[in-house]
Amino acid sequence: MATSNNIKKKKTKPAIISEDQITKKQSTLYAFISFAVVVVLWQLAVLFLPNFGNIFPGPYDVVALMIKIVKEPVGRLTLFAHLGWTLKRIFIGYIIGAVIGVITGLAMGTSKLANAIISPVFEILRPIPAIAWVPMAILWFGLGEASKYFIIGFSTFVICALNSIAGARATSEKLKGAARMLGASERQLFSKIILPSSVPQIFAGLQISLSASCSTILAAEMVRSEEGAGWLILRGMNTGNMTLVLVGLIVISVTGLILATVMRAIERKAISWSFRGK
Amino acid sequence: MNNEVVIKCENISKTFPTADGTAFDVIADFSIEVNKNEFVVLIGPGQCGKTTLINIIAGLEEATSGIVTVGGELVTEPDPKIGVVYQETNLFPWLTVMGNVEFGPKAQGESKASRQERAQKYIDLVGLTGFENQHPNKLSGGMQQRVGIARVYTNEPLVLLLDEPFGHLDAQTRYLMEEELEKIWRQERRTVLFVTNNLEEAIFLADRIVLMTNCPSTVKQEYIIDLPRPRDITSREFLKIREEISKNLDLTS
Amino acid sequence: MKLSKMKKKNNKVKYILISIISFTVFLIIWYMVTDVFKLVKPISLPSPVKVLESFINKFTVKRPDGSTLQAHVLSSLRIVLTGYIAGSIVGVPLGIFMAWNRKADMFIRPVFDWFRSVPGMGWIPVMILIFGINIASKAAIVFAISFVAILINSYSGIKNTNPVHMWVAQTFGASNKQLLFRVAIPSALPHIFTGLRQGLNQAWASVVAAEMIGSNRGLGYMIQMNRENSRADLIIVGMLSIGLVGTILSFVLQKFEDKYVRGRH
Repeated sequence: MATSNNIKKKKTKPAIISEDQITKKQSTLYAFISFAVVVVLWQLAVLFLPNFGNIFPGPYDVVALMIKIVKEPVGRLTLFAHLGWTLKRIFIGYIIGAVIGVITGLAMGTSKLANAIISPVFEILRPIPAIAWVPMAILWFGLGEASKYFIIGFSTFVICALNSIAGARATSEKLKGAARMLGASERQLFSKIILPSSVPQIFAGLQISLSASCSTILAAEMVRSEEGAGWLILRGMNTGNMTLVLVGLIVISVTGLILATVMRAIERKAISWSFRGK
Repeated sequence: MNNEVVIKCENISKTFPTADGTAFDVIADFSIEVNKNEFVVLIGPGQCGKTTLINIIAGLEEATSGIVTVGGELVTEPDPKIGVVYQETNLFPWLTVMGNVEFGPKAQGESKASRQERAQKYIDLVGLTGFENQHPNKLSGGMQQRVGIARVYTNEPLVLLLDEPFGHLDAQTRYLMEEELEKIWRQERRTVLFVTNNLEEAIFLADRIVLMTNCPSTVKQEYIIDLPRPRDITSREFLKIREEISKNLDLTS
Repeated sequence: MKLSKMKKKNNKVKYILISIISFTVFLIIWYMVTDVFKLVKPISLPSPVKVLESFINKFTVKRPDGSTLQAHVLSSLRIVLTGYIAGSIVGVPLGIFMAWNRKADMFIRPVFDWFRSVPGMGWIPVMILIFGINIASKAAIVFAISFVAILINSYSGIKNTNPVHMWVAQTFGASNKQLLFRVAIPSALPHIFTGLRQGLNQAWASVVAAEMIGSNRGLGYMIQMNRENSRADLIIVGMLSIGLVGTILSFVLQKFEDKYVRGRH
């Protein structure tokens, strides 16, 4: 009955419904192979395409420069000192922006009155990208560190506020009703129900704004500075040194990835009960 | 009754590898035969293996060992002659009721007039006349499941597989839908394999009940239900059968 | 029922009134600290009256940054639309392809993951060094930034297709091509639109950034020049215009989405 000649040939199934899962080992291997292929092709292009090499330095040059500036300073500082400045700016701006953003967002999401008061100004400021604040930041805070904190802080503030609003508003009416029925006061309703159930969304905001900070820092360091990974990139651009630009980009990208991983670990600890924490 | 075998499962087993590298048996040595136009209900405790079994019969998943034939042909891939209704979210939310019901014949390139005529017939049959242009999110859970049934009937499959189709409905709607499904089935006889964990539903609908064990799933016992249709769930005979099976049915796990 | 509805409506009116009052108070405070009590210098914060006046004049006056407001807006819009449309045309199909094809997924995705970890603003110096300071480099910046957001969302949209939908379609005899075009893509449309919206927002911000670094027209250039000229009033006009145009762009896209992504809540 089940002879082999009436077995139809199986269609290849699309990736999203394929049954055999790729193991972690396999996917690491593929990632490594494709990464290696790109690096090799890149190096080959630099070696054998004369025009390409003039515009774009090869991976060897980039790594060589990176190693060199670990010891020798660019501008006033070495690579890690530049990175240190950048991290300091990100942290200070980010923490200020996140605290104000989460508080504002929770207030707007919880209280209709607070929302009515804050939202007109908030809605005007929200769509203005952080970079567009650079000129005003300079006029208000000068060319020093404060204006850089302000720019990072503003971008963080908007993202954190938006996510906190969404988190507070998404609190299940059933939960709120149940808490009221059990005699919770308005204050308890906030601290015991709304706040915990907004936490996953708040963390989403913290995560997104942290990645955004790593991009905004470039804008912030366009305000006159002589240090920082963003400054390395700008210096590279102004002197036509693409190698330095790429070194700066790699440093910032890797920093961003590390920060995101740390943030995710914190999040997993903090909200192990939620679906996002799994 | 016609005794031509339509669905035949022979010694089906399914094993999944787990994260820690050990094997996990969901289905072990499962065999069953379903005759033409017979209504067979699989009933078993827990969440183990039932959807996987339906997917294997439908050709969506491969069994680790064993073979499935439908209408005498080996099942190796999904086929329009095998229709499936799942417990939840099986309607395409971006299509209207009509769009959902005509999906199958449309996928197979049937002409618009002919497929819509048939779709309309089954929309009418499940009592959704007038809702053709609504999107599923405007419908209640019971109505959504009616669309699912109309959709699978419109495709004119040889066999129908229903995987706990009323599992998400409230008790009241569930009774209504059971009656409705039974009525539709009496009007349009099909070979049905119906999965549930509700014994009352099973006895109400089935010609034959196949009792399954929990993890790994396999056949524990079979019962022929020869009560006249439509059945009265409060009748003495009904309750007697219920009593008898429930002794053997371990729903605790 | 009727009563509670009326109450709700009254509440709504109440909160709108509060919003209006709050905004008026904001303007009055701004006016007080600048024009009335002169607590801050006009060079760091001009009065609201001055900003409004400059805004109206900027439609006709080219000084001090060389162009009228509408010329700046049009210049920025032209760049953003060029780069963004190109980013969408490449990003959406490539995202769908990566999610649908296992081989493409395995090999392209690691490279793409690396590509997307580059901070958005980082594309500016790279593109300027490759293409020079011109429209092409700015359009390329917009392209790179919007492309990443659009591709990620199209990709995850397809990946998140409900497997039950795929099963059902398969049991109805849908071919692979039909699975893609009749099931996966329609169900991914909301995600795809999320990507298009994110991409547009980021593209708009990146145009402003690119114009601040190297340009002779555009809103980014306008605010940058006016900082050098210490014209805070025109900086604020520029910032508000950036926000306003960004909002209008999102709004248009939202309308488009409402029209074409039906059957959702």
